[in-house]
Amino acid sequence: MSCFVVRWWVAVEPIESVLKEGSKTADEVEVFFVKGESLSASLRKREISEAAISRSTGMAIRTIRDGKIGVSSTDDPERWQECLSAALASGELATPQEWGGLPGPVDLDPTPLACDPEITMDPALLERFCEELLEGASRYPVEVTSGSAHVSRQFSTVANSSGVLYSSPKTSVGVSLDCISGQSTGYEFDSSYRLDIDPVGVGEEAARLAHTSAGGDDIRSGRYDVVLSQIALSQFLGAVFVPALSGRNVHAGRSRLAGSMGEVVIDNSLSLYDDPFDGRGLSSTRWDAEGSPARRLDFIKNGVLMAFAYDLKTAYRYGKSSTGSAVRSGYGGGPAIGVHNLVLDGKESGIMDEPALYVHDVVGAHTANPLSGDFSVELSNAYLVEGDEFVRSVRKAMMSGNIFTMLQETGGVGSKKRVTGKMILPKIRLLRQNIIGV
Amino acid sequence: MDGIRYYDIRHVAGEVTHIDIDNSVIESAGTSFFDQAVVRVLGPRGWGIMTVDNYQRPRGDRFSDMINSVRGVASITGEKVEVADAKRGVLDVPAMREDPRDVSIEEKTSILAGIEKSARLEGISSSRANYSERHETVTFEDSSGNEHTYSICRCGFGIMAVASRDGIVQMGYERLHSISGLPIRHKQDIGAAAARRAIELLDAKAAKGGIMNAILDQELAGVFAHEAVGHASEGDLVKEGNSVLSGKIGEKIGNNILTIVDDPSLPEFGFEPVDAEGSAVGRTEIIRRGRVCAYLHSRETLAAIGHGAAGNARAMPGEPPLVRMSNTYIENGDSSLEEMLETCRDGILLKGSRGGQVDPGRGVFQFNAEYGYLVEGGEVAGMVRDVSLSGEILSTLHSIELCANDLLMHQGYCGKGGQSVPVSDGSPHVLLRCAVVGGSGTD
Repeated sequence: MSCFVVRWWVAVEPIESVLKEGSKTADEVEVFFVKGESLSASLRKREISEAAISRSTGMAIRTIRDGKIGVSSTDDPERWQECLSAALASGELATPQEWGGLPGPVDLDPTPLACDPEITMDPALLERFCEELLEGASRYPVEVTSGSAHVSRQFSTVANSSGVLYSSPKTSVGVSLDCISGQSTGYEFDSSYRLDIDPVGVGEEAARLAHTSAGGDDIRSGRYDVVLSQIALSQFLGAVFVPALSGRNVHAGRSRLAGSMGEVVIDNSLSLYDDPFDGRGLSSTRWDAEGSPARRLDFIKNGVLMAFAYDLKTAYRYGKSSTGSAVRSGYGGGPAIGVHNLVLDGKESGIMDEPALYVHDVVGAHTANPLSGDFSVELSNAYLVEGDEFVRSVRKAMMSGNIFTMLQETGGVGSKKRVTGKMILPKIRLLRQNIIGV
Repeated sequence: MDGIRYYDIRHVAGEVTHIDIDNSVIESAGTSFFDQAVVRVLGPRGWGIMTVDNYQRPRGDRFSDMINSVRGVASITGEKVEVADAKRGVLDVPAMREDPRDVSIEEKTSILAGIEKSARLEGISSSRANYSERHETVTFEDSSGNEHTYSICRCGFGIMAVASRDGIVQMGYERLHSISGLPIRHKQDIGAAAARRAIELLDAKAAKGGIMNAILDQELAGVFAHEAVGHASEGDLVKEGNSVLSGKIGEKIGNNILTIVDDPSLPEFGFEPVDAEGSAVGRTEIIRRGRVCAYLHSRETLAAIGHGAAGNARAMPGEPPLVRMSNTYIENGDSSLEEMLETCRDGILLKGSRGGQVDPGRGVFQFNAEYGYLVEGGEVAGMVRDVSLSGEILSTLHSIELCANDLLMHQGYCGKGGQSVPVSDGSPHVLLRCAVVGGSGTD
C-alpha cells in the first residue's frame, strides 16, 4: 500500500507579495497561511465504508489603517490581490480603535511542539487503527455502529509587515468508536499529535460503556455528590467558563466573572491555566495566531481569579496587554480570543471512595445559559459508585445547576488527567448536585 | 476506469459577507471567498472521497486520472456499498424580493447598526448584531450523465441583548434567516424585542425541575420535532443500528394527531433545489397520524434499508454528503393555545429555544427553552428562566396530547459529523403530558 506524500514548503511568494502590496495602502498587514492534508476512514458497523483524502490551502489577510482593522480570506492564494482589496475595503467600514502595532519578531525556538514527523498519510495505518478499534470492542457483547480514524498534517505560517515570519508544522491522529447494546450507547475517542493513541483501549471502553449502561435503573430525584469524567467536565467548561475568561466578553458586559478579579471564584484547591507548551496538548505552540509569543496564563490560582485572556485588538482597546491568546479555528476571518491547552489542577483525593453518581458524559451542555451559567442537562453513561466500584447504572436522569457555583466547593480531583480537545483535565467530585430522576 | 461503479463531483464556489456590530462598534464588515469540490468514487466495495480547493475540471485523460486516483483511496474499504436509483430533477430557486448584492455593504452596515441600536434600551448592558450573506454556485456532475448548476443566496441576522442588574445577567436573542432576499429592512422591532426579553428575565425565577404538563411554543416544538424525531429518522443512523426508530416502520409511536414531515422543497431556510448527490427533493412524512412511515435518505441508505425516497443528502462546501434534515415540522392540529392552557391546568409554558441535542441510539433528547411561564389553573402566570426538557423519544411522542392550528417555522443551523447546514424547524403549539422538565430552582 503506497503512502500519500506531501512536500512541505512555506509559501513565501504570495505572503511577500501581500505584505509588500498591502503596505502601500495600509499601515500594517498580516498574513495567515495554512496548507494541510488529511486522510480518514469511516467505519459503518464492522467495515470501512469510505476513505477520504483532503488537501486544503487557505490564506487570511488582515490590514490596519488609522486604527481600522480589515479582514478577508480565500482558499485560493493566487487570488491574493482580490483578497487584499476585500480586506482593505472591509477596514474602511470598521470603527477605528486604539492600536499599538502588530508584534515584531522575537527569537523563538522554532522546534515544533505538536508535530510527529513519523506521521504520514498512510492508508495502512488507518486500516490498522480500525482493526484495533474492533478488536477492543469485541471484548464485550455489543454492536459496533460507527467509528472513524484519521491522520492529518498541517503547515501554518503567520507573517506581518513588522518582520514576523513564523512557520510550524502540526500533526494529528485520532480514532473514535460508537457502540450500542439494546438502547444503551457508548462512545469513546482518543487523539494526539503523535502515534501514541490506543485504538484497542478506545474500542474496549466504547463497548464497556454501552454494555455496562444497559439495563440501568431509575434514580430518585434529590441531591447527590457527582463525579464528572474529564469529558463531562470539558463540556461544562467549554460551554460557559472559557467564554467568561475572554477579555472581550469581560469588557463587553458578557462575563459573569467581570468585576471578580482578585476574588475567590472557585474552590481554593483548584487552579486553572493555559499552558501553550504542555507536552500532551494537541494545540501546543510558541506563538499565537497573530504572532505574539505564547505564554503560560494563570487564569485562576488556588481559587482566586488572576487574569483574563486578551488578543491584540481587545488589549489595545481596553488598555491591556496581549496574553498571547489569539487563536484561529481555520483560515477564515480574523483571529479570536481562546485557549491553547487549558489545564485544571486540584487537590488529588479518592474522589470515588465515598458513594457518588459518576457521570461519563452529558447531553446538551451547549444549551446552558452562557452568561449566568445555569444549566440542565441529560446524563449519559451515569453510574452509582461506591468505594471505587460501579454499583449500578442509571437509566435516565437530568442534572441541573450553575456551572460557576458548582465549582465553588468540590470534593477534589482525580489523579489522572486526560486531553480532550484544547483541555487537559482530571475527573472532579462535585458536592450535593441537583439530580432529577423519578 | 476499472472497478469504478459510480462517481460524482460537487463543486461549490462563492463568497460570504459578514458584518459584526458589538456595543455600537463595527468590529468587522467584509467579504471572504471560497471554492471547494468533493469528488466521490464508488469502487468495488466502498467510497473513495477527495476534497480539493479551487477545482477546475481536468481535461481529457487527466480527468480519468483524477477519478482513478480517488478510486485508489477507496482501496481500504470493505463494506459493499450500493446506491439506489433516485428520481432526478432540479427545482427553480425562488426569486428574491430584494437581492442583497444590489445593496452596498455600507447600507447593510447602516441598517444593521439601526437594529443593534434599537436593542439598547434602558437596563441593557451589552448588545451585539451579526449579519451574514452567503452566495453559492453549485455545479454537479456524475457518471450517469447527470449535470446541473444553480446559485442560491442565504442571508440573515441575529441580535443579542444582555440585561444586568445587581449582579444578575440575562440575555435575549432573536434571529431571522431567509432565502428570499435581504431580511434586515424595518426590523428594529426585533432588536427591541430581544432587549425587552432580557430585561424581563431579570425578574424571572429559576424554574423548578420535575415531571409536569408542558405546552411548547412553535419554536421549541419545532426543535422537539428536529431533535427527538428528525435525527432518529436519518437513514445513516438507522442503517448503522444507531436509532430507536430502527425497525419501527408501520409501528404506532404517537397519537393520531401527530404527523411529522421533512420537506427540502419548501421555500424555507432549509430549501434545496436538488440534493447533494443530484436526487430530486420532496416531502417525506416521517410520522403520519402517529405511525412511523419513512426514513430520510441518501441513495446509499435507501438501497440499504428502504422505506422512503432519496433526496436528503446535504453537504457543506468541501464536505461529503450526509443524510440531513431540511425543513422539518409537526403538522397543524385542530386545537388552540387557549384549549391547551385549559387542558394543561397546572404546568409550564415553554418558549423559544437555546438549542438541543439527541442520542438517537439511546432515544434520549434534551433541549433548552429561552424562557417560560408557569401555568396555574389554566392561566399563564409568572415568568421562569433556564428551563429545559428531556425525555425518551418513544414514550414522549405518545405524550403529545394536543396540537394547535398555528404552525410557524424558525430558522437555524444543524450540526452533524462536523458539518453545519441551514435548516428550519416548525410546529404549532403542542401539549405534552407528564414531561420531564429541568431547572435549577429549588422552591
